[in-house]
Amino acid sequence: MFYDLNVPWTDNTRELQRTVAFLDELGYDVVALTHTFTGRLPADLTSPVPRPLPFPTPSRLRILRRCNIFLTDAATNHRIPQLQQHYDIIAARPTDERTLQQACASLDIDLISLDLTQRFEKYFKFPMLGTAIARGVKIELCYSQGLLTGDATAKRNLISNATQLIRVSRGRGLIFSSEARSVMAVRAPSDVINLASVWGLGHERGKDGLTKEARSVVEFARLKRESFRGVVDVVYGGEKPVPDVVDKNKRAPKKGTPVSQSGEGKPMSNRQKKRNKKMDEDADKNTV
Amino acid sequence: MVRVKNRYLVVNFLYPSTTPPSTSTSSFKDLPSLLQLHQPTPDTFHAGLLLRAIRDGVTELFGDYGMGMVSSSLKVNYHSPATSTSIIRCPQAHYQMVWAALTYMTALPRPIGTPVVVKVVRVSGTIKMAELEVIRRAKDIILRAKMEQRGGGGGIKGMGAGMGMVGHIMKTVEKRREEVLVRVEEAEEESESE
Repeated sequence: MFYDLNVPWTDNTRELQRTVAFLDELGYDVVALTHTFTGRLPADLTSPVPRPLPFPTPSRLRILRRCNIFLTDAATNHRIPQLQQHYDIIAARPTDERTLQQACASLDIDLISLDLTQRFEKYFKFPMLGTAIARGVKIELCYSQGLLTGDATAKRNLISNATQLIRVSRGRGLIFSSEARSVMAVRAPSDVINLASVWGLGHERGKDGLTKEARSVVEFARLKRESFRGVVDVVYGGEKPVPDVVDKNKRAPKKGTPVSQSGEGKPMSNRQKKRNKKMDEDADKNTV
Repeated sequence: MVRVKNRYLVVNFLYPSTTPPSTSTSSFKDLPSLLQLHQPTPDTFHAGLLLRAIRDGVTELFGDYGMGMVSSSLKVNYHSPATSTSIIRCPQAHYQMVWAALTYMTALPRPIGTPVVVKVVRVSGTIKMAELEVIRRAKDIILRAKMEQRGGGGGIKGMGAGMGMVGHIMKTVEKRREEVLVRVEEAEEESESE
């Protein structure tokens, strides 16, 4: 399962449809459409992303809704719980040192997304990012700006910030996503993993950044919204097989994503078979 | 025996944006999206241009150091504009640089300028395996295009075919899932011919 948790939502449906179809073709399974709030949060927080989407999407693909909020002043932060009702994932984009500290330590968000094309005055520090990672808040690296801009400094900043984040976070809790404003900025999962390994993260960690870590963001966010205090959740555990099921497809769809799908039960051991046979025979004798 | 070790990258050129090629026709819009994505590369983009594009990319990303490391055995072994596929040879120790340069490519070089997404499909230690992969891919894509067309034509007929059809589709989907990640061969395969 590959995740791309940042595709900006636009009103240009044709472009978006093309992007989503291309992501599916490249092998991504879950895509989050992002709506960005600039400045103060408006009174009406409902997501502009319609559900279902105005164009047909590939059936294999799961679409999530995500919002980006810019952290500029402390005033808007108390409305984050209201945002949670309207979006599947909430990401924060800190603009300075103080808001980054706040986002890492206390805010109730799912992702920290930094604008890597900027130059940060201070180095990132492990204690700060470490608290975020320990809380389950992951840090996102968006690779698309580095691909499409002709601006050499933006490219350089992106690489330097990415390598720095990889060094400081010690490779833990990082997520790769595209933030692709057009189709051309999307790359296949393997290409992204290779890019990560060139930046010094290594193949395994790079793969985790597209699969395991991203999944944990999605699932934590879901648990926060649907479970009892984020601790207890009722999951669909299957049902007893009814002998004459006609239509298997009508079963309710599962919530969440399974870690692995278990196959059939174990085959019966020879000893058990013998035992069963004997029991049957005994039962026959008794009835006779 | 000690020999120079190489990696062979099998590369696909994808065209996700709909800017039609130079011979724009009205029938272009009717093509299935799969074929639109895998449309043929312009013939003017020959192996020499590809090589120069890679060189430029490596120089831009890694500078003279990268270029020096890579250039010792950089070569385009196979280039087919019809299927938009290439096999690129590069040194084993530094194949990631070439791969990154390909990832950073956004358009075909100057005189053509079509937007392109380059996707590395397979990293192989021997050219034989790379060739086999190219053949397998080509067959696969034809099959998928045919299936898509059939699916668009008669949906109800497909439903009636029952479990056999569904099973087949499930199998294809599973197979696709395996293929998302590029196989990188770590173990060197022995080949006497090189």
